[in-house]
Amino acid sequence: MAEVRLVDIEKKYGAFLAVPQQSLTIHDGEFLVLLGPSGCGKTTTMRMIAGLEDITSGDIMIKGERVNDKPPKDRDIAMVFQNYGLYPHMTVRQNIEYPLKLRGVDKATRKARVQETAAKVELDALLDRRPSELSGGQRQRVALARAIVRTPSIFLMDEPLSNLDAKLRVTMRAELKHLHHELGVTTVYVTHDQMEAMTLANRVAVMREGRIVQLDTPKKIYAEPADLFVAGFIGSPSMNLIDGVVKGGVFRADGVEIPVPLGDRDGVVLGIRPEEIDITQDAGAPISGKLYALELTGESTLVTLRNGPSSVCARGHADFEAEIDSPCYLAPKDEARIHLFDRASGERLG
Amino acid sequence: MKRTLSYVGERALLVLISIVVLFPIAWMFLTAFKQPRDAYSLSLNFEPTLQNFVTVFSAPWNLGSMVMNSVVVATVTVAIAVPCAALAAYSFSRFRVKGRKFLFFLILSTQFIPAVVIVLPFFLMFRQLDMLDTRLALIIVNLAIVTPFVIWMIKGFIDAIPTDSEEAAMIDGASRLRVIKDIVLPMAAPGIMTSSIFCFILTWNEFLFALILSRRDAVTLPVGLVSFRTERGDLWELMSAAGVMITVPIFIMALFIQKHFTRGMTAGAVK
Repeated sequence: MAEVRLVDIEKKYGAFLAVPQQSLTIHDGEFLVLLGPSGCGKTTTMRMIAGLEDITSGDIMIKGERVNDKPPKDRDIAMVFQNYGLYPHMTVRQNIEYPLKLRGVDKATRKARVQETAAKVELDALLDRRPSELSGGQRQRVALARAIVRTPSIFLMDEPLSNLDAKLRVTMRAELKHLHHELGVTTVYVTHDQMEAMTLANRVAVMREGRIVQLDTPKKIYAEPADLFVAGFIGSPSMNLIDGVVKGGVFRADGVEIPVPLGDRDGVVLGIRPEEIDITQDAGAPISGKLYALELTGESTLVTLRNGPSSVCARGHADFEAEIDSPCYLAPKDEARIHLFDRASGERLG
Repeated sequence: MKRTLSYVGERALLVLISIVVLFPIAWMFLTAFKQPRDAYSLSLNFEPTLQNFVTVFSAPWNLGSMVMNSVVVATVTVAIAVPCAALAAYSFSRFRVKGRKFLFFLILSTQFIPAVVIVLPFFLMFRQLDMLDTRLALIIVNLAIVTPFVIWMIKGFIDAIPTDSEEAAMIDGASRLRVIKDIVLPMAAPGIMTSSIFCFILTWNEFLFALILSRRDAVTLPVGLVSFRTERGDLWELMSAAGVMITVPIFIMALFIQKHFTRGMTAGAVK
C-alpha cells in the first residue's frame, strides 16, 4: 500500500512562503498530476515528498510512515528529473544499474534486470553508449529506465517531457500512460502542460501561488472549474471569460445577452468553452459581433468574434469560411455548460 | 581594406607579444647548452655541450637532492591539498549554511596578505618547533598557501555541475559521500586535474618561504638557482641548465594532462 499523505505541510524560504499550509492524499496506485504555472510551488511540493527539500512544518507520510527525517534514499521512491539527471561518465547500462548496485543487488540479477528494463523502454541496443551520444528522447528513456529498474513504491516525475519536441512528447506521454497501467505504481507528476495533465492523470491538483485550488478528476476539472483561475488555465484554446453584469436573470455584456440562473449583481464573469458554442446565422443569437479572426487548426476552425471589449472564440467546422469584419452570431450549445464567476474573488457562482 | 589592415595589425601585435614572452625561455634553453664563454653571446652559432647538466648534478651544486626536495614537497602538498580542497569546495558550493559567504571570503582573504609579511612568524614558529630546514615545514607552509586557492578554483568547477545528477543519485540510494565519490568527483575531474596542476606549479616554483625556511637539507630547486650567483659572478650557463630542469617537468606534465583541460565530463548529464 503506497499511499502518500501530506499533512499540513508548509514550506518557507526565509520570510518567503513558497507553499502555504495544506494537505493532500495520493492514493495507492494513483497517477496524480500537480499542475500549475511556473513558480506555483508544484516542484517544491514534489521535492518535499522526495526528501530533496526540508519541510518547514507538517508531516509527510509514505505507506503510513512519517518520513520527514528520512533521507531520499530511504523513502523507496524513484524520480525522473526535468533535465534527466543522468550520470554522464557512465554508460546507459551503468546508469540503469546504479540504483541496484547501491542496494547491493548481485551482479547476475543486476544484469538481468537491466536487460529487462532496457527492453521495456526500447533501449537494449544502446546500453553501451554514454548519455552524450543519445538524443533527448533516448536520454529521457534512460532516466525512466533508471527509475523503474528497482520497482519503487512511488514514482516522482518532474516535468519529464518538457525538453522533448512536440511529436516525441506525444509518443512518450502514451508510453508513460502505458507504463503506469503496466506497473500500477503510485505516481506524482509535475507539469505546467494541461494537455499532459488531462491525458495522464487519475486526479489533477491545480496549483496557484503554492496552494492547491482544485483537486479532482481531469473530467471534473474541465467541466466544473472551481474558480476563474482554473477556468482560464485549463483548456486549449482557453475558456471564454466575459466581463458583465446580471440583470433580470440575463447576463449582459457588449454584444452578449445570455439568460442565467442568477440574481441581479455586478462584477460577474461568464465562462464558456469554445467547443460549447455554435456558430449560427440567427441575427437574434445571444452573442453577436464582428468576425475578428479565423484560425484553421486542422480538425476545426477557431472563430473569434469581437464586440467592444468582449471577445468570444468558438470552435467551428474546419470548412467554415466568412469575411473578416462581417457580422457573426454565436449561441451556447447547452446553457448548463455556462460557468459564472465573481470577478473580485474569482469564486464560482451558482 | 580596413579589415585587412586590422587583421595584419592584430597578427603583428600577437607576434610581438609572443617574442617578448618566449625570448627569455628560448634564451634559457640555448644558454643551458652553451660553454661559459658563449653564455653572454646572443649568437646562435655556438658549440653545444651537455656538460652544464653534468656539472649541476655534481658537487658542490648537487641539484639531485634539490630535485628530490622539490618533487617531495610539491607532490605531498598536492596530495593533501587537493582532496581536502575538493571536499571544502563541495561544501561551499552545495550547502547553504549561515556565514558561508563570510567563511569563504575569510579563506580567500588569506591570499591578500603579502607573503613577506608572514614569512618571519613562520620562521620563528618553525625554529621554536625545531622544524627549520625540513621538508615537512615547507609542505605545511605550501599547504597554507595553496589550499585556499585550490578551494576557490575547484568550487568554480563544482558550481558548474548541475545538481540534478547528484539528487538523482541520492534518490537512487547513495549517501552524500557516495554521491561525491561516484558522481561529483568524476564529473569535476577535469577541473580537479587543472587545479592540481596549478597547485603543483605554485608549490614547485615557491621561492620566498623555501629560501627563508631551508638552509641545506630541504633546499628546493628555485632556491638552488640562487646558489649559481657566486663570488666568481653569475654562472648563467649552470643557472640555465638548472632552469631547464625546473621547467621541463612542468611542461611535460602540462602536455600530458592537457586533454583534461579541454574535455568536459558533464556533457550529456542534462538536456
